[in-house]
Parts: sequence; C-alpha cells; structure tokens
Amino acid sequence: MSAATTPDGPGKRVLLYDASLRDGHHAVRHQLDGGQLRAYASAADAAGVPMVEVGHGNGLGASSLQVGQARLGDDEMLSIVREALRDSRMAVFMLPGWGTTADLERAIAHQVDVVRIGTHCTEGDLAERHLGFLREQGVEAQAVLLMSHMATPERLARECARLVEFGANAVGIMDSSGHYLPADVTERVAAMREAVDVPVMFHAHNNLGMAVANSVAAVEAGADILDACARGFGAGAGNTQLEVLVPVLERMGFATGIDLYGLLDAADLAERELMPAPPAIDSVSVVSGLAGVFSGFKNRVLDIARREDVDPRDVFFELGRRQAVAGQEDLIVEVALGLKAARGA
Amino acid sequence: MKRNGRLPVAVLGAGLIGVDLAEKIMRSEVLDCVMVVGRDENTPGLRQAADLGLHVGTRGVASLLDAPGPIAMVFDATNAMAHAEHAERLRGAGVKLVDLTPSKVGRMAVPSVNGTEVLHCDDINMISCGGQASIPILHALTQAHRVEYVEVVTTAASPSVGRSTRLNLDEYVETTQDAVRDFTGVKDVKAILNISPARPPATFRVAMSVLGEGFGTASVTAAVSAAADRVRSFVPGYRITACVVEESKVFVAAEVTSTGGRIPRYAGNLDIINSAAVHIAEQCAAVAPARTGTETS
Repeated sequence: MSAATTPDGPGKRVLLYDASLRDGHHAVRHQLDGGQLRAYASAADAAGVPMVEVGHGNGLGASSLQVGQARLGDDEMLSIVREALRDSRMAVFMLPGWGTTADLERAIAHQVDVVRIGTHCTEGDLAERHLGFLREQGVEAQAVLLMSHMATPERLARECARLVEFGANAVGIMDSSGHYLPADVTERVAAMREAVDVPVMFHAHNNLGMAVANSVAAVEAGADILDACARGFGAGAGNTQLEVLVPVLERMGFATGIDLYGLLDAADLAERELMPAPPAIDSVSVVSGLAGVFSGFKNRVLDIARREDVDPRDVFFELGRRQAVAGQEDLIVEVALGLKAARGA
Repeated sequence: MKRNGRLPVAVLGAGLIGVDLAEKIMRSEVLDCVMVVGRDENTPGLRQAADLGLHVGTRGVASLLDAPGPIAMVFDATNAMAHAEHAERLRGAGVKLVDLTPSKVGRMAVPSVNGTEVLHCDDINMISCGGQASIPILHALTQAHRVEYVEVVTTAASPSVGRSTRLNLDEYVETTQDAVRDFTGVKDVKAILNISPARPPATFRVAMSVLGEGFGTASVTAAVSAAADRVRSFVPGYRITACVVEESKVFVAAEVTSTGGRIPRYAGNLDIINSAAVHIAEQCAAVAPARTGTETS
C-alpha cells in the first residue's frame, strides 16, 4: 500500500531522513549490535525510507568515555548497514573536533552517500575544511547547526549562508534540547529559507511533546528535509516519531515516497528489536527541554545524580544556567558535586 | 645575540594568539619583541601590535628574513600547514623557532614536564592548549600508576578560537593525541575538542579520564595537586575543579582563566599555550650565549 499520493495528487516532496540507527544510539548507550543494525536497515530500506543514517550517537570518531563507548566500531557499523541497504541512501554524521578527515575518508571507502557535518549553532566555520574536503571528493554534504535554540534566527540564517559557501548541499538546524515551540521553528526555518537556495532541514526532539508539531511548522515554513526516528528512538525524550510524521505529512498533501505498511512494520521491528521501551517524556526530560540542555545528557545525569545523591532536575537546570552544550558531558560531574557541596554547606 | 641583556625575538602571525603573545613578551625581562608580522596591516591584530608600539611587518616570513636587526627566535602563531615552510626558511637563517601551531614538526614541549630537555632544539612545538593543560596531570598520573587508556576533552569559548585554530581541528586532535601518547607512554589515547557558543563565554576547561589499575585517592590527589602547582608557577589561572577517584578510573577537570593581560578571563586556552611558550623561550634565553652589548648577529 502506497501512501505516496494523496487525494489531491502528489504534493511537494519532503525528504525523510531516518536517524534511528544514529540518534537512537543515545537511548541505548551506543550498544546496538550488528544484528539490530542489519534488521532495522533492511526494514527501512524495504519501506522506501530514502535516507538511513548510522553511527555512534555523536557521529564518526565519537566513541569515548565522555559520551559513551559504542559496542561496534564505525567501520563495522557502516559495512553492515551498507550491505543491508539496496535503495535507501546511507548517511553518516560527524562533528569536527570529535571526528577528523581520516574518519570521513573511511566512511567514503564504505561508499557513504551523504555526510552531515555538525557544529554548534554559531560555529559553522568549524565545518569549512571538512565541507571543502567532501566537495573535492564529490560526496553529498549537509551541514547542521546543533543547540540551535542558543542563537537568533538571523544568526542561524547567516551561518547557513556561510555553510553553503563552504560547499554544503543542504543546511539546517537541530533542536538538540527539545526546547522549541512551533512559532520558534517557523521563525528560524523561514529565516534560513530566505538566506539560502539549497534544501533546508530540521531535526526535532520531543522533550516538550512538540516534535511532530515542530516538524510540521518547519515544513510549512519551507523546510525540505525532516529528521525522524522509528518510535522516536533517540536521545532523552526521543526524536520525531517517523511513522507518525510520514502519514501526517501525506495528509497535509506532501509526498514522502514511503510505503505506510512497510514503515509501520519497520517501526514495530524497531520497538521489538532495538529498544527496551520506546522513549517517553519523563519528568527529567521535561526539565531538560525547559532548561535547554542537550537531551542526550539524560542517562549520564541520572547515573551521576544517583551516585552523588542529588536531584537530577537540579542538575539539568544548573547545566542550563551554565549553557552546557552537547559534548560537554564532563560538566555533569562537576555540577552534581557542586550541588552536593552546596547542600552540605 | 642578546641586546641590552635581552634576546631579540619576533612573532609571526597576528591573530588572537600572536597579539597576546607579543604582549606577554613585552612583559618579559629577558625577551625583547622586535617585530610582529602578519599579512595585512589593516587586520585588528597588526593594528593592536602597532598601538603597543611594536614594529610590524606585513609580508609574512619575508618580513622576518629582511628585518633590519637581528632576530634570535621566532614564535610561529600562524597555522599548522604553514609551519613546515616557515621552519625551513627561518632555520636556514639561523633562527630558533617556538611553534604554537599543532604542526608536529618540532620537538614537543610541556614546560613543567620536559622544559629543560628541549632548550637546545631549534624548533620547539607547544602542541596545543589542551595538551598544555592536560599533559602535566596525565604525566604525573602515569608515572605513579598503571594506565591503559587516556581521554582528554577540551572546551574553549567561541570568541577565544581564531580562524587558524578553526581550520586546524584535525591537527589539533591528532597532535594532542600524539603528544599525550609520547608523554605518558599510553598507546590508547583519545582527544576531543568542543567550541562552546555560550554567552557569556565559557571558561577554558580540560577534562581528563584515565582508565587503569589500583588508583588510590591519596596518591592520585597528591600527584594531581603537585602537577597543578608546577603549572601554576607560570600560569596563575590554572586550577583543578574536579578530581574523582575510583578503583580503576580517575576523572580530573581543570579550568584555566587568563590573568594579567588584556585577553578576557575565559580565554585560558590562549593564556596557557602562550605562557608556556614564553616560559620556554625565557629558559632558552637564559642558556643562550650572554654576549650583551653592541654586536650584531
């Protein structure tokens, strides 16, 4: 059964970018094994999901004590997923400063189709060299701005224009903390849409229950690419739920090219095979979204808060006050120790 | 080659690092900053250097080779890709180099660890800000304990990271990893760099995680605190902010605030690498032939 057409005929195409096998890793401490990667990649491919991203939650080269050591190395993950995809394109993510050009070279050797280079919201020029390298290699490159709620719409638009100059084939923002409301997204995507001629992408987190609504706002403001994950499998409260977003977009008259039953089967498989339970907006996730802290901090915050006997909600609010960004997991210990000391004083 | 008892030195590169370096050298009693060289006299860095009363050049390394007076030592604050060429041209002219780029060309130096062993080298590499902030601690820990894995995560504030560093992230990661391996003897090493967009800017910070055996709270805290004291002797803003010791894992975080200069407090990354470079250069000056007076080179 195809959901690719609507009663009004095929509308504007929206490209769905399935981040389950990358962002989902945050939810399971980067422990997906080969069988899990293979099974989900095959199911997504069968459903006609156009892009399947794979890797450690923080991207190529990121396996570490800081953010969690992955069960499988990058090479192994890429080779398994490459083999499982027949029609879907394979994508990877990399943060300069975490991965290097050597990691990109290895991904290219695995015939990656699309590489996403991420930087924090105001730091687009950190991607200049890697985008240039990908352009030289003829590999499609997208550039994404993380922790985007920390920058104004104008600044994000300027960064996107710069990223296009560096060679990005598409640009966009991540709501890494799940902090946005739909109006925030509309304003930002519209500003970016105005600033560039390449496709614009948006990646939502669901901390405040807004992931689908924010994705809808993004596409209505002109976004061309939306990230989503099966059952919302992702950091903290999870991402936009792919098998919800696709039929919602189709009902709105957008075309995704994805088969509904295949998509639902893939989502069922994901729930059964990839995760102990689908992500939920628990109390700590609400606080993390309100505080504007990266959703992926959740497991580490809970571990350390338990060890130091402090309230994880206090830890999140203090991390927010210090404007901790994704990658600064080392601050969690210090914040928890500080709260503990303050209580003792 | 000293003049009035001070060694004539120059700074190549007029970005964030170069200008702070020139200021630090001006405060030195044994170094004399005779020139700051960039590429364009209209850049803020060269204008600031000129405002400080320093002689400026605009033709890169050529300005140094044509300098009117002797230059005994050049601080290279350009970028890793350019350093090899600078080293070749300047060493041919008998100039000693202190390299602040993560080029891996010269001998790697961390003042409190191997400072006295590198003074004779003609190209001394300062590794990276993260290397300078972490290696003293990591070296101390690995001297006293059996260690299998070391990880160093550095976070620098966006306004303290200039264009060359932004283009040199790969070199930063690789050079920092190589240096940690070299100084600790541990093979399995990972270095990570975050650039923080926070406003007000985040204080420069390095977090170190070490996996090994038989860590004891007393021996670890003693080693860490002694190493930090040695760094503090020339980087007053260096302090340990967390030290968590478990049986097989140690986590240490250090913050560096900039003190004494015009750069902002949060920019400890500039302060620590520049202070380390000037400290090494001063020691080199102390062992350089002390022919004071009127002679030329």
